Amino acid sequence: MSGERSAVDRECRRTKRIVRRSLDSLRRIGRIARWEVSRSAGTVDRKTVLVAVAMLLVVGAVGLSVADDGLGLADELYVVGVDGDDPYADVVAESDRFRAVPLEDVEISGDGTDSNVDVVVTRDGELGYVGENGEQAFDAFRDAIESYNENRMAEADDEVAAYPVLVTVSYQERDPLRPDGTTSPAESDGTDSGARDDSSTESSPDDGAAADSDGMTDGSTADSDGVTDGSSEPTDETRDGDELRVPDVGGTIDERTTTGTPSTLSPPFPFQSLLLAFLFIVPMNFVVQAYGSTIMDERIKRRGELLLVSPSSRYEIVGGKTLPYVLGLVAIVVATAVAIGGGPLSVAAVIPIALVFLGSTFVGAMLARSFKELTFVTVTISVFLTTYAFVPAIFTEVTPIALISPLTIVVVDLQGDPVTAGEYLFSTATFYLSAFVLFLLGIGIYREEDMFAQKPIPAKILDAITSQIDSISARVGGHWSPFVLSILGIPFVFAAQLLTVSLLFVVPDVVALPIMLVVAAAIEEFAKSVHVYAGFARGRFEATGRTAAVLGAFSGAGFFVGEKLTHLGQLVGLPELAVGTAAFGPELTGGVSIAVLAAVVLAPLALHVVTATISAAGARRGSIPYAVAFVVATLVHALYNLGVIVLVT
Amino acid sequence: MLAIAIQLFIAAFSSFLVVGLVSMYDPGTVDGHESGVAITGSDATPLAAVVDRQDGLEAAIYDDRADAHRAFENRRNDAVLDANRNDDGRLVVRVTAPDGGLETTLLVVQLREALETLEYVERVENADRLEQPPLSVPDGTDASPYAEFTYVVLLPLLLFLPAFISGSIVVDSLIEERQRGTLELLRVAPLSFVDVVDAKLVATASLAPLQAVAWLALLAVNGTAIAHPLALIVLVTALATLVVGAGGAISLWAPDRRQAQLLYSSVIVGALVVSTLLPEHPANTVAKFAIGHPTATTWLSLALYCLIGALAFASVRVIVDRIDSDSL
Repeated sequence: MSGERSAVDRECRRTKRIVRRSLDSLRRIGRIARWEVSRSAGTVDRKTVLVAVAMLLVVGAVGLSVADDGLGLADELYVVGVDGDDPYADVVAESDRFRAVPLEDVEISGDGTDSNVDVVVTRDGELGYVGENGEQAFDAFRDAIESYNENRMAEADDEVAAYPVLVTVSYQERDPLRPDGTTSPAESDGTDSGARDDSSTESSPDDGAAADSDGMTDGSTADSDGVTDGSSEPTDETRDGDELRVPDVGGTIDERTTTGTPSTLSPPFPFQSLLLAFLFIVPMNFVVQAYGSTIMDERIKRRGELLLVSPSSRYEIVGGKTLPYVLGLVAIVVATAVAIGGGPLSVAAVIPIALVFLGSTFVGAMLARSFKELTFVTVTISVFLTTYAFVPAIFTEVTPIALISPLTIVVVDLQGDPVTAGEYLFSTATFYLSAFVLFLLGIGIYREEDMFAQKPIPAKILDAITSQIDSISARVGGHWSPFVLSILGIPFVFAAQLLTVSLLFVVPDVVALPIMLVVAAAIEEFAKSVHVYAGFARGRFEATGRTAAVLGAFSGAGFFVGEKLTHLGQLVGLPELAVGTAAFGPELTGGVSIAVLAAVVLAPLALHVVTATISAAGARRGSIPYAVAFVVATLVHALYNLGVIVLVT
Repeated sequence: MLAIAIQLFIAAFSSFLVVGLVSMYDPGTVDGHESGVAITGSDATPLAAVVDRQDGLEAAIYDDRADAHRAFENRRNDAVLDANRNDDGRLVVRVTAPDGGLETTLLVVQLREALETLEYVERVENADRLEQPPLSVPDGTDASPYAEFTYVVLLPLLLFLPAFISGSIVVDSLIEERQRGTLELLRVAPLSFVDVVDAKLVATASLAPLQAVAWLALLAVNGTAIAHPLALIVLVTALATLVVGAGGAISLWAPDRRQAQLLYSSVIVGALVVSTLLPEHPANTVAKFAIGHPTATTWLSLALYCLIGALAFASVRVIVDRIDSDSL
């Protein structure tokens, strides 16, 4: 009885101690965060604030005043030779883009390649162009004539004669094509109209295969997880535009359905994501600049040493210094979302981007040796992240690819369409995990010997990885570190491969597939081997062949486990695209024998172990053998991928 | 090196964006796929003629409206146009297009062009009722839609970006020397403080014209003729001197990097906005020099930039002379 009570007491005391410790830790984080805020606020002096505010006012005033008449970037760009009494002279006078020259001043060189004009209107009313820029000038002149005509018509009294054509456009959803034969193959050819490229054409037979192989599920589910989700209900009547999947920046919904003349017809504009990317991401750049500066400041003149020797752990220090910026970014994101009418979902989709921004800036500031380098790092990060967020979001209508970017979630949310938890996870999980790993790596070198030393950047990266090896070794034993680090590398592998997929999406399959095969293999091999190399280079592992084999096996196995997480991607249906298959391997098809299934599961495991061992064997001998082994491993991996794709398809 | 790599990346990124955007508005560049258009209604014939003439569209006349819509639903065609004349004699066209996607955007752009042609044809028929009949519009050329973009947006971007980056580098490098206290060390050297600052300004400012030369050469290799390369390089040099001078002044005045960079970026943004008030936008100046039609204003602007650049450089020297270098 008393023994039991003392056990309960012990348990109680332990819980209390943990609670007290975490409270202490939170308090320290809070204090550092408060210092960070008060110091930043304190150092911004009044003069700076005044200048910045004055600048803002000027920008606002001038911006508003010129917003009406445009920037005039192309003013008087072309010269037109035309007589003053020609009807086309009025066109020139009305357009900003052209400057008129009387016909008698026009000089054209003998071979007709050089001239002081681009477009000539002869006295008998014929139009022609000369010189290298003649063609583009002529096209621009054509547009000018059209808008001139438009203006004359607007002045005309007889409205019916001036506007003899009225147009109404309505957008109507069509039933998705059923792969199981409700529509014949001949008809399905008609669907890929316009801009769709080869890869989406090839995806339709894939659709069919996926639906057929899912023997357990019936045909209707096969429909709904296709490319056009949520549109499977019959639509005989015309929709009036409030459920449009395509964002429309050019005009409001009213304009789309009211009757107008042909020139008022504004096509749906699928580039809202561009605006979103810039609205959300531009403010992030400013915050991240300040964040990078504050981290860098700690490293100058050993200022950070005072905090390092305090009882706070480095996790608490970094947490405290980061907290104000996280809160600031959240506030900005919320404000932006409210301003553009996005809901909590938009905020939840953008915050992971903000976290990756902070995480990569933190690592950048830990690695950079000077402010100059930091500036470059910040610019690279923001350009890269903007690309990553923006480029896939262009393809919002090809849902699986577009979901790579959380901005797609924002676009969908703004349209009022639902987003499933799986879709949210698919597009943001990479960001959350990457931010987590980046902070982990950065914190690994948040210590005296790396912060205040002028080491080359690769050496610091190796240090950052080695510090993770150390902390894993301290907990579970040295050989497990390649296993864990390979898993941690997965989000970056995933992100890099997704980015490659989305960049290659517009390229024809013939070109895209070989590039994809090699790049995907290289990315995976790098993620599997770089930490093993770091371990060897920093003397954490014994440089023997046996160790290399063991480490390679662990690394490959870890990567295999992590890679199974990418099957999350398959849930959303990404591998239906041919390019996706090259990156993530073919889909597991049901209804095959156990032996084949075992082979399908075990073959990648064997592959990862073999290639990781190859590069580990190179890594133990130094950097050049490592590079050679890495290339060999990449080739083996690419050949394997190719073999699998050939076998399956 | 890194700076150039980043700028290459940015340039590639922006041209990728714009190629995407431009091809949106120029369906001809996106492959010669023909979209089927079902045409129905009482006035189908003139419309069908116009639609067939349009690149990328193929008209099929349906007598029965329901048939046309059924064909649309079964994806045998991509749009339905229902043309009828109303009591005023106007042609009313009802367009049914598929919902969503890039294809719809392209399709609607093509349809708009076809309908505008139809409008023109109808207007010419109404010419006697109009005070000013429409001028005839010539056929388009096959000029690259990116050509104008190259002159008006890409080239100015490529020329101005190095200047701004140079300014940022000056801010970083001066502030860092101040914060690390290494300016003290430089003052031990047999150089005056003015010399030190001058050397930094000149070194970073000269990066910009070098990059400009590289970009111009690259564009020339790619077939974009540059009419006045020398004037452009002078322009970039002047702008770089101006920006670097401003950066130098800011970094001598601001207390730390965060504020210096904040000030620098707000000054640059401010200057960019204010420059729209000039009689000729700087980007327009660049475009005119490049395309070979500079006007008197263009040359005057160039002279103005040279003057301001020289003034900025001189004023940094004055500031350096005035301030007590011990206070840094």
